[in-house]
Amino acid sequence: MQKSDYRNMWVYIEHDGKTAAPVGLELCCELRKLCDRTGDRLYAVILDRLPGAEEEKVKDCGVDGLIRVHGSGYAYFNTDAWANAFTVLSRKYNPSAIFVGGTVNGRDFAPRFAVQLDTGCTSDAMELDWDSETGDIQFIEPAVGGKIMAVITVPALRPQIGTIRPGTFPYAPTGRKAQIEEIEEEISFDPEAIRCRHIDFIPDENDPEMDIANADCIVCVGNGLKDSEHLERYRTLAKLLGGKLGCTRPLYDRGILPYKLQIGQSGVMVKTKLYLSFGVSGAVNHTAGVDADVFVAVDKNPEAQIFNYCDYGIVGDMDEVCDELIAQLQARR
Amino acid sequence: MLNILVCVKQIPDIDLVKMDPETGNLVRAGVPTLTNPLDLNALEAAVQVKERYGGKITLITMGPPMAESTLRECLAVGGDEAVLISGRPFGGADTLSTSYSIVMAAAMRGKFDLIFCGKESMDGATGQMASQLAERFDAAQISCCLSVDAVGDGKIRATRALETGREIVEATLPCLITVEKDRFFGRLPNLEAYLAAKKAEITVYTENEIEGLDLQKIGVPGSGTIVPKIYPPELPEPGQIIRTGSARSDVGRLLELLAEKGAL
Amino acid sequence: MAAYSKITPEIAEQLRAVVGKRFYVGGEVDPNYSHDEMPIYGKYMPEAAVDAETTEEVSAVMKICAANKIPVTCRGAGTGLVGGCVPLAGGLVLCTRRMNKILEYDMDNLVVRLQPGVLLKDLAADAQSRGLMYPPDPGEKTATVGGNISTNAGGMRAVKYGVTRDYVLALTVVLADGRIIELGKSVCKTSSGYSLLHLMIGSEGTLGIITEMTLKLIPSPICDVSCLVPFRDVESCIRSVPKIKLANLDPQSIEFMDADIVTSSAAFTGNPIFPERVRNEDVGASVLVTFTGYDEDELDQKMIKLGEIAKEADALDVLVVATSSNKKSAWAARSSFLTAIEADTKLIDEMDVVVPVDKIPAFLIYIRALGDELGIRIRNFGHAGDGNLHIYCCSNELEEEEFKRRVKIIMDRAYTKCAELEGQVSGEHSIGHAKMVYLRESVGEDVFELMRQIKAVFDPDGILNPGKVCDSTLAERA
Repeated sequence: MQKSDYRNMWVYIEHDGKTAAPVGLELCCELRKLCDRTGDRLYAVILDRLPGAEEEKVKDCGVDGLIRVHGSGYAYFNTDAWANAFTVLSRKYNPSAIFVGGTVNGRDFAPRFAVQLDTGCTSDAMELDWDSETGDIQFIEPAVGGKIMAVITVPALRPQIGTIRPGTFPYAPTGRKAQIEEIEEEISFDPEAIRCRHIDFIPDENDPEMDIANADCIVCVGNGLKDSEHLERYRTLAKLLGGKLGCTRPLYDRGILPYKLQIGQSGVMVKTKLYLSFGVSGAVNHTAGVDADVFVAVDKNPEAQIFNYCDYGIVGDMDEVCDELIAQLQARR
Repeated sequence: MLNILVCVKQIPDIDLVKMDPETGNLVRAGVPTLTNPLDLNALEAAVQVKERYGGKITLITMGPPMAESTLRECLAVGGDEAVLISGRPFGGADTLSTSYSIVMAAAMRGKFDLIFCGKESMDGATGQMASQLAERFDAAQISCCLSVDAVGDGKIRATRALETGREIVEATLPCLITVEKDRFFGRLPNLEAYLAAKKAEITVYTENEIEGLDLQKIGVPGSGTIVPKIYPPELPEPGQIIRTGSARSDVGRLLELLAEKGAL
Repeated sequence: MAAYSKITPEIAEQLRAVVGKRFYVGGEVDPNYSHDEMPIYGKYMPEAAVDAETTEEVSAVMKICAANKIPVTCRGAGTGLVGGCVPLAGGLVLCTRRMNKILEYDMDNLVVRLQPGVLLKDLAADAQSRGLMYPPDPGEKTATVGGNISTNAGGMRAVKYGVTRDYVLALTVVLADGRIIELGKSVCKTSSGYSLLHLMIGSEGTLGIITEMTLKLIPSPICDVSCLVPFRDVESCIRSVPKIKLANLDPQSIEFMDADIVTSSAAFTGNPIFPERVRNEDVGASVLVTFTGYDEDELDQKMIKLGEIAKEADALDVLVVATSSNKKSAWAARSSFLTAIEADTKLIDEMDVVVPVDKIPAFLIYIRALGDELGIRIRNFGHAGDGNLHIYCCSNELEEEEFKRRVKIIMDRAYTKCAELEGQVSGEHSIGHAKMVYLRESVGEDVFELMRQIKAVFDPDGILNPGKVCDSTLAERA
């Protein structure tokens, strides 16, 4: 295999038939920058029909081309048809890299077509770089619970495949290319051959407390929390500040708060005005998920990494500081 | 009777793994190991299926000889047989080559109807392994499973978790399933099973014992990815630490600063 | 006894001169200082509070308070359950939370010297990191060690290792008039006159204020394992306990839990590690038995023996808690029992009786019947190995006054029953003000009067923690 035979980068545009998931657009924006360095062309790959207005959004993200795939087998997401489509397309066009949003379904099918193509696959990169000597993309991601950053490459195989979590890169369209190539492909997958079929979908009840991605204020509780007995005061504080409660991964792992409140790379990426962390150590996986105008950190360990990310820090007992905040905020009213 | 495979992994307690500041290498020596917690959830799901529909559970793992303790832990709570893939040539594998090694070794034990995996490992955390195993087993896959609703007639019906709700799916066997952690809390072993598991025979396969194994596809040579470099995360400059002597006045000062910034 | 004085601005100035910013008066006082974990016994705000940092500060504060007859209530983390740290007579709360330093380990003699405000969990972890264990293991890990000594706290490991009292070698104590005394020495035996050390332990801040402690440690056990033994009902469960104790297995703890508490805890923590059904039968009650030993073989032998006893005792099964993650889950669940009760209960009262182990079923049956009769939900768990039961009276429906009325009937009758069964009022939570009448009934007037005389020797003006243990003057005045 000659690496130089493989050119151009692809982004999969996940959609539900009505709107494109933000992660695909985010990836187009980020990869535009990378392609400008590598000289690759950037293509968005769309399976089944996406309304025109949504396609326009994709085009605004600086893609050089669209690959539209039509055919049977795409009525509902299924690993078989999706993986097959990418394998067929990739064998035909030999892209250098394929990026897929790290949604539940993206993470379901991307590693699978990597095996079909017998190539390397990475997940959850937070940064993308390029080594001009080897021509390899460097997927940079936190590892071992955020203690280290690891550079991962696919040195000998192509395409290079990466799944990237939603919210990792900003949605910042830089403008539309004058010429956008449009490729139509017919790839059908026999619906009878789909091995795992959609039967039904039951939407979650909409609980506003569970929707923290864009809350104005977030009170985030970390592993310093002694037990669930001590949790209520943080809810009280969040209410007083007109904000919402969130947590770090260990609290989800400890079964104290639900996954939807887990902030960080493997949970929810949040954008907020005021962020207060209590008992959060500051692992990269968590801080990578926080975009705050003002960041306040409270932890008993003065060496905690979280103080490197905050605007203001208090070293002390988290419960005591929280109680003080509640008392003084109440006194101000 | 269902032939069930459960894939498990022994991992270091990552809270205790440190990076050597001199060499930049991870220090794993002396770090206690545990069974990847999500794999225990997968095992519990498998045991529930076995209890409901009948079957045999084979456990499989790849790792150094001490990974046996993980297999014994799993045998004690419902595994019937255990396979350890062990040998230097398997070392340094990524998911592409690990999935190959596991599928080749599993083939030595027959054909499986259901394969259960944890959603990801707490150490590597790529979450890729299950999909890649499914592909290599030529099996259907149901990821993020919340409940197994029915098994029979060569099919499995299950509920999976998506970002905005639950999806009910039906798959043909063979099928690989990854489970969500909240739903399948592992049980405690009973004393007899615990003691029996300590003495149970574990099948160990080295690279020489797996039929048709292509040595170019295992370990480092078989891996699609490499890790050319690790480094400590770069930290931004610390923020302003408020130190006034007491929590009360610290908080007072913080509220002043936040008010000045218009953040309240 | 003379009436107490108020904290005048002049006295406040004197106190402020001692502790500076760590003096709080009026609205500055933390409102939590008005109660412990049992607010049902009433909330009382102090006039002022100090966070002390040294023995000398405590001494200076006491001198000021003694000179002015200001009542002083000492407080640690406020995790008590009988109102022990609640300032019934107002006055000053002296909080030791900031005296939280572990001062020194003597690795040759296996002792540690520390301040009273160190949290139990911090001492346990710090000792553990040196290969040592502080054996007392009360359920409330965020209590201060000073508080543990003041209440002679027990805990789960008492079966094998005894209680807090057994690990206190020496104390530095500030007396009511501000004098500083040393009680005990860092030695393992003593036969040297009246043990004022042991009088101070468990005295709930009524005889003096503990400002420094020397405690005995032991080498950490090399390995441990726990077995959960589920039974169909409470009676068969408890009947197994003496058999387990007699089998020479030297368990570290034997904890008792009934089905209700297991269900509440699983719902609360989302951690269903203790099964509600075993071998297709409902579990009525379980014991959790913990063994320590030198190696796995030794533990296996103990478990095999336990298995035989369990079988004879008609247990449903024996389940093994051996992996680190299961141990973590099991102890997290066990530690959450009280919290789980509190979380789904509006009104709560508790008793901490200790009865001979073989009388546990009789007592539990009695108290449940009482609960049913009076419409009060009863939750219980406890240390089966030593007969110490934590019994909670709960209600979500009743008005507070009605709840208190009914619970009083239960308490009165239950403590009478406890006395009948040759039990004691409190195993490890102490007396405070909540259980004083029951102490008095239980020990009788002669003993109660002796306690009052002892109190008067240490604290003639009655300024130390008024209204507690045997000081019935406040209650009588009311």
